[in-house]
This record gives sequence, structure tokens and C-alpha cells, in this order.
Amino acid sequence: MTEPLNDNDGTERFSTAPAQAADDAVAVPRLGGAGLLRWMWRQLTSMRIALTLLFLLSVAAIPGSLLPQREIDPTKVLQFYQAHKSWAPILDKLQLFDVFESVWFGAIYCLLFVSLVGCILPRSFAHFKAMRAAPPAAPRNLRRLPVHASFRTAAPADETLEAARKRLKGRRFRTAASADASGAASGAWVSAEKGYLRETGNLIFHLALLGILAAVAIGHFFGFKGARLVTEGTGFCDTVASYDTLTMGQAVTASDLPPFCIQLNKFTASYETSHDQFGQPRTFDAYATYRATPTSPETNVDVQVNQPITVNGTNVFLEGHGYAPVVTVRDGTGRVVYDGPTNFLGMDSMFTSSGAIKVPDASPKGLGFQGYFLPTAELSGIGMPYSAFPAAGNPMLLLIPYAGDLNMNGGESQSVYTLDTGKMTRLDVKSKTNASAGNALAMTVGETDTLPNGLGSITFDGVRQWAQFNIAYDPGQPIALGSAAAAVAGLLGSLGIRRRRIWVRVTEQEDGIRLVEVAGLARTEGATPTAEVTETAEALAAALGTVPNEDTVPNESLDDQPQRTTDTRTGASA
Amino acid sequence: MTINETFAHYSNLFIALALVAYAVAFFAYCAEWAFGSRSRLGAKAAAVGHQAAAPAVERVLETAGGGSSGVTVLTRIADEQEEPTIAGSSLRAEAIGRFAVMATVIGFALHAAGVLFRGLAAHRVPWANMYEFSCAAALAMAFAYVVLLATRRRVRWLGLPVTFIVLLTLGLAYTVLYTDAEELVPALHSYWLYIHVTAAVLSTGAFGVATVATVLYLLKSASEEGKLPRLSGALERVPSSGALDRTAYRVIAFIFPLWTFAVIAGAIWAEKAWGRYWGWDPKETWSFIVWVIYAAYLHARATHGWKGRAAAWIALAAFACVMFNYFGVNTLLTGKHSYAGL
Ligand code: HEM
Repeated sequence: MTEPLNDNDGTERFSTAPAQAADDAVAVPRLGGAGLLRWMWRQLTSMRIALTLLFLLSVAAIPGSLLPQREIDPTKVLQFYQAHKSWAPILDKLQLFDVFESVWFGAIYCLLFVSLVGCILPRSFAHFKAMRAAPPAAPRNLRRLPVHASFRTAAPADETLEAARKRLKGRRFRTAASADASGAASGAWVSAEKGYLRETGNLIFHLALLGILAAVAIGHFFGFKGARLVTEGTGFCDTVASYDTLTMGQAVTASDLPPFCIQLNKFTASYETSHDQFGQPRTFDAYATYRATPTSPETNVDVQVNQPITVNGTNVFLEGHGYAPVVTVRDGTGRVVYDGPTNFLGMDSMFTSSGAIKVPDASPKGLGFQGYFLPTAELSGIGMPYSAFPAAGNPMLLLIPYAGDLNMNGGESQSVYTLDTGKMTRLDVKSKTNASAGNALAMTVGETDTLPNGLGSITFDGVRQWAQFNIAYDPGQPIALGSAAAAVAGLLGSLGIRRRRIWVRVTEQEDGIRLVEVAGLARTEGATPTAEVTETAEALAAALGTVPNEDTVPNESLDDQPQRTTDTRTGASA
Repeated sequence: MTINETFAHYSNLFIALALVAYAVAFFAYCAEWAFGSRSRLGAKAAAVGHQAAAPAVERVLETAGGGSSGVTVLTRIADEQEEPTIAGSSLRAEAIGRFAVMATVIGFALHAAGVLFRGLAAHRVPWANMYEFSCAAALAMAFAYVVLLATRRRVRWLGLPVTFIVLLTLGLAYTVLYTDAEELVPALHSYWLYIHVTAAVLSTGAFGVATVATVLYLLKSASEEGKLPRLSGALERVPSSGALDRTAYRVIAFIFPLWTFAVIAGAIWAEKAWGRYWGWDPKETWSFIVWVIYAAYLHARATHGWKGRAAAWIALAAFACVMFNYFGVNTLLTGKHSYAGL
């Protein structure tokens, strides 16, 4: 531990942080390889670098919130690519669509954690030693400490010191006494320190950060997560192929996925019908049936937001929902070439949903429909129909039909919600029921529209809903939780506990009178024990009796002459 | 459960009355600044205050009975009682200042009643959309100030900026962000709403108070160096830069663990709702940024060459991120936290 009094600027060192000379950074020593390495290590584990790395980390996180991220929403990244064709590839090269998996983000936090280990481990050892060592001897001149109280007494030195030691020990200070407690003229002392738990808390906090990092790594390695849209009346089993998206840790194989099956029977939602928040959702319920293994009995559940179900140790969450209009498409030959629900994606609070119906196998030409589903269509006289409420009150499909090559065999992956119309021609149609829909089909349930040029027809049969289920397994979670709790506890200790020292010294004065000095020093910011020192002095004075002061300040000179005031209050106030 | 319209109406009424009370308090604080005068005591402390170590002050303690206890105390720690005050030696300003505090406390009580009745009206915590978050964050800020007043008497210098910000926030909420009391969206149906959002709102309010102290600290320390001559008259009467810096630090050090807890509680909730405790959603990302910058602030205060003004700028950057996390993320970015009910 460094000597607490730092005389050149007249202040005590508050921080328990490693002492840093002002000049330790700039000059690279000319010491050859080992020296350079040592120098670099010292730099890396210095507070200044820790500070810089913390800054870098926060700045590096910003683009991750402003640009679309693959990890969060790959569709958005695709859309961004289409909107900014020229510089999206450059951003991609810089890994700005994968910020939190990027090399540079990883480099910053790796350096930070190396720095942390390099800083905290030595501190832990030092603290472990300090915890068992005795508090340091009293400084020569107690009057130079931030707070100092004194009185004169006739009581013997050993009695005074024993009383002081008892009192401080009773207040849970760790105490030590000078070897010579008999009260020699040189001055015998008691030394006391309290608040060691502050440093303990600080170390626990930093080590807990390592625990969180380890938990994240474990989750990455041994965990998996997947998402799957399920339309009412259908289901899926937990196999690699059945997910829309699936991320598995390196240590996970397909056979590690628990073998459950889940079916969505019915999805219901209710929405606010009045007031300011008209249309805001109120309840979502996904009524589902699952089997934990293919042979186990079926269980009926109601999966809600915030109420996942646990199947075989894996959690199943209700993540999103939407509409799936059911259509029948006949091609030019009259054959039914498409029959069933198509998932559309909700876009706004009234659930205007967009999607595409793809019928590549129709003859003579492939057919495709791009458009919108409106759960409660409102037909205004002018302009396109729009959705006025998120529930399916008056469902309508607005579709623009295309014919030609849907470009689905090209190997390039295509969004299921958009049509690649590059090799298709738009068909000229007019809405039967709604002139304002312009050149789009505006279909209500039950309606059949024929396509021009004998290309076929489409029937809007009805509406189903879909629910998105997320599946997640993360074995790192308990470790993360435990570490986070330890971090908060450590932080409370680190920021809440004041570490301070108090010394009591008895010095023989002339003719059997002794001067008792009590002085205190903060070891951490704002911890100057003014009240503790004054109260200790007062208690000792009351217990031992005082000898009136003859206004002789002990004759050691001070740099600044004290002002003398008489305080009318009892005790100190700061 | 249906909305209790009567209570919702009371809530609006109380918020409107709170606005009036805060406005009265604000003008009273202004008057206190205007009528206050420089006190000799204040001038002395201001002159010495910016030295890290105050000069030694010696006093002889007396016993409860009135006689001398025989104990002489010598301190080098600047005593809060000797810091300058806004009112200074003007008795009129002192009286106005006390009236301002009273008006603030009344405003706070009305404000708290407004928030409480909002919750009673909707049968839930009254912080589930931007109007309610704003009311609650302003309440938290007023609360932090009232707590400081209650525990440490000499913080009236915070009154003017705090009531100004509270008025601004509450006024904005009442006029622009207002939305009727309603039930919750399903995403918020969780007791974690109580835990996570309460911690976040309290932290936001307290960080706001710390920011006020930080800004004053930067102004005051510039003024102590002879800069900002135009403001020197006003700044003479705020506490020394050392005291301002200490107040800012204490508030941040006190509330940082709570913010840490708020982020962790959010992660636990995210795990319950979405299956992962951390997914770099914009709200999560910015909460992380705020946390890291406040951690940097705490580090800076322990780092040679970074104490004082450099650290203060870091604290301001952190609060700018708090603001962006609230207004920016809620209105500009989309993510899983997009249920602010704007
Ligand atoms: C993962 C990044 C880190 C975070 C989030 C972090 C956070 C914190 C926080 C919040 C405090 C305040 C608690 C207190 O004042 O006692 C603190 C203190 C401290 N940190 Fe870190 N820290 C990190 C990395 C580091 C590193 C790399 C070092 C060493 C180079 C370090 C050394 C210290 C020291 C010495 C203190 C105590 C300061 C004092 O005594 O006042 N920290 N840290």
C-alpha cells in the first residue's frame, strides 16, 4: 500500500486505485524486448487504458443500434442493401451489419478483459494480504491529517490507549497498537482501519464481470435458438430442418435438439376499441398442443407473451403473430396449382400486412401476387383502401398479379414476403368492387377474380393467423444471473462503504499531563471520518477526564496557521 | 379490468396543479437568485473552496451542558455550512428561498398524487407509455432533490435548475405526449414492469440531478479560474466547485448500482419474454452504453489526470446517452421495446 499522505499537493490520496506517476505513459523505455513487453503490459493494465477501452467499447456499440443487424433482423439488412446498393457492401466489409460479432468489437472487449485480469488479480492478492495485516503505524505528525481532535488528560497512557482500542474495536475497526504502550514520551499509539469490504466489493464486482463474459461464451458454445412461424392448424417438430432460422452453438449437434412437437390450434388477439390507444393489443393467446417426445401424451397449453412454456428443458416463447390469407389459385388449364394459407407480415399498428403468393408451377406461365392484406379494410372514396383496425373485422386482399419467371431456381435466396419481378410482367387488372384500388385486385372473402389473357384465377377463401414461436436453450444463463447478482452486491460494497483510518496517540507532556490526539484519514473519496474522530475524542475525554487547556498548541509548526473559532454546537457537523 | 375514469380525471387534475406549484417554485427560486446578495461567509469559502484542501479550521467543542469539553478539533475539510448560498446574507432572499422549497414540496406531493391516481385508474404501475414515463422520471428527479433537501440541508442551489427541468419534462408530457390512461399491451404484462421500469425511472431522475450539479460544477470551476466574467456574479453564490463535484459524484455513485440493477432486471425480463437475456436490441444497446460511460466516469475519478473537469465531461456524455436512450431510441429506432405508446 502506498503511504497515504501525499505531501506535494497537500491532499490525501482518496482512491485505492494503483498509484500512477504522472509520467508513466509517454516515454517508452529503451530496454529491449522483455522491457518493452513489460512496459506494454503495464500500459495495458493501467487505469488510463481501462478508461480508454471503456470509451471505445461504448462508441463501438453505437453503430449496432443505428444500422440493421443480421443477428437481430436479417430481412432489414436485405432491405438496407437494396436501398443503399453502393455503400452497403462497404459497410458489410467493415462488419457493420454484425457489429457485436465483429473482429473489432471483439478485440476491444478482449483487451478490456485482459486489462481487467491484469489489474484485478494483483490487486486481489495485495488486498488478501492487506486484509490480514495490521493497520499501519501512526504518522509522525497527526495534526497534518484532515481531521484531528485533541485534549489533555491526567489519565495514564496505557489506560487511554486501551479505552481507545476498545471503543474502536467495538465499532468494528481493525486495530493495532504500538509495541510500547506504556506511554513513553515518544508517544504510544493505537491504529485502526475500517471499510476493507470496499476493496473486496470492488474486486468481486470486476471478477463478476468475468463471470458474465464466461456465461455468454458458454451460451454461445452450448446453446441454441430457433424461430418458426406456425399457421393455425399446423405444427412442427424440433428438428433442424423445421426452423425458419436456427442458430446452434459449435458444441451443439442436430441430435441435441430435444425431440418435441408442437401444434398451433388457435391464435386469438384482442385490441383496444376505444380512447387514445385505439387498436393497441391487449391480449395474445396461442392455444397449442405439444408432445415432449413423439410417444408422450399430448398437453394443451396457452402460450402468452411473457409466459413461455418449458418443454424438455427448452423454453418456447410466443414472439410474434400475423395473418395468413388462404387462397386458391387455378392456372390457365383450370388446374388448382396453389391452395392454402400464405403468411403475411404485419407492418403497422393496424396490421396492414404485406406478402407474396408464389405459384411458379402454373402453366402456361408462372404466377405471382404481391400485395397487402388488410384485416379491417376501410374503403375511402378516394385513395387506396386501408386497414382501420388490427383485428380481422373486414378482411381484404389487395394484390397485384404478375406472370412470368419467378426466378426461384437461381439459388439466390429470396424473401418469402416479396416477389422477384425482374423477369415477370405485371397483369392489367381492375378491381371489381373497388375502383379506388386502381390496378390491383381488391378481394373480399369468398371472391374469385379471373386473370387476363386466360392465365387463370384466384379465390380468396378465408383468413387464418400465424404465431411465431421462438425456441431457446442457454446453459450459460444461471452463471450469468449469479455473476450479475455478485456484480451488484460488489458494486454496493464498492461504492457504499467508506474506508478510513483513525489513530490515537498519547504523548507525555510536562508534569504528568498527557496530550491525547485522535486523527482520521479517508482512504476513499469523501470518507474523512470527521464525526467518528470528534466523537471518539469526546467519549475518551468524558471517560478519562480532561485537564484545562492552557492554550498551548503543540509546538510543531504548521504550514498554515489555524483559524480559531468556538463552536456552539456539540460535535462536528461536516 | 376497466379504467376508472374518475381516478384518471383526478390524475390529470393533480398533474396540472403540480405544474402550477412547480411554476410558482421556479419563479420563487428565480427571485431568490435575483434578490440574494453576496455574503461575507460565502465569499471566504468561495475564495478558498477550490483548493482541494481547505485550510485548517480549529474549534473548541462544548459539552451538552454548555461548558467546554476540553476537546479541540482541527479540520481541513471544507464545512458545508461555510459554502456560499444563493440567498447569501439577504434575509428577504432567504425567506423567498424557503418559500420556493415549500412550493417545490407541495408540487412534488401533487405530482406524486397525479402519478398515483394514474396507476389506480389503470390498475397497474403508472409508467407504461411515454407520457407516463416522463411524468414518473420528472417525479423521480423531484424526489431526488427532495431527498437531498431532507438529508443534507444545503442543496437549495439545485432548486432552480431542477424545477426548470421538471417543469419542462412535465409540461412536454402534459401537452405533447399525453395519452389516456389505458390497459397494458401484452408485452408489458409482467411483474418485471414493476421492478425493471421503476429502477430505470428512478435512476433517470437521479442522473438528471447529478447532471445539474455537474453543469454547475463546470461553470463554477471555470469561474473560479477567472473565466466567464459575465456569470461570476451569479456563480459566486453557488457552492464551491469542490462541493458541486462531490454532490455530483455522490449522487452518481449512489444511483449507479441501481442503474446496474435496472439493466440486469431488464435482461431477466428479456429472458422471460423473448428467450434471451441479451440481444443488442437498440434499447439494450443504449442502456449498455449509458452503463459503460458511467463506469468510465467512476474510473476517471480514480485516474490520475482525469479527475475534475475531464470526469465531469464524461458524466455529461453519459447523461446525453440517457436522454438519447429515452427520446431517440423510443422515437427514431425500432426494436423490441417499441411499445412506448407514443
Ligand atoms: C469491463 C470493464 C470494466 C467495468 C465495467 C468497470 C467498472 C467499474 C466501476 C463501476 C467501478 C466503480 C466502483 C468503485 O469506484 O469502486 C470501478 C472501479 C475500479 N476499476 Fe473498473 N471496470 C472495468 C474494468 C477495469 C479495468 C480493466 C481496470 C484496471 C485496469 C479496472 C480498475 C478499477 C479500479 C482500480 C477501480 C477502483 C477505483 C477506486 O478505487 O476508486 N477496472 N470499475
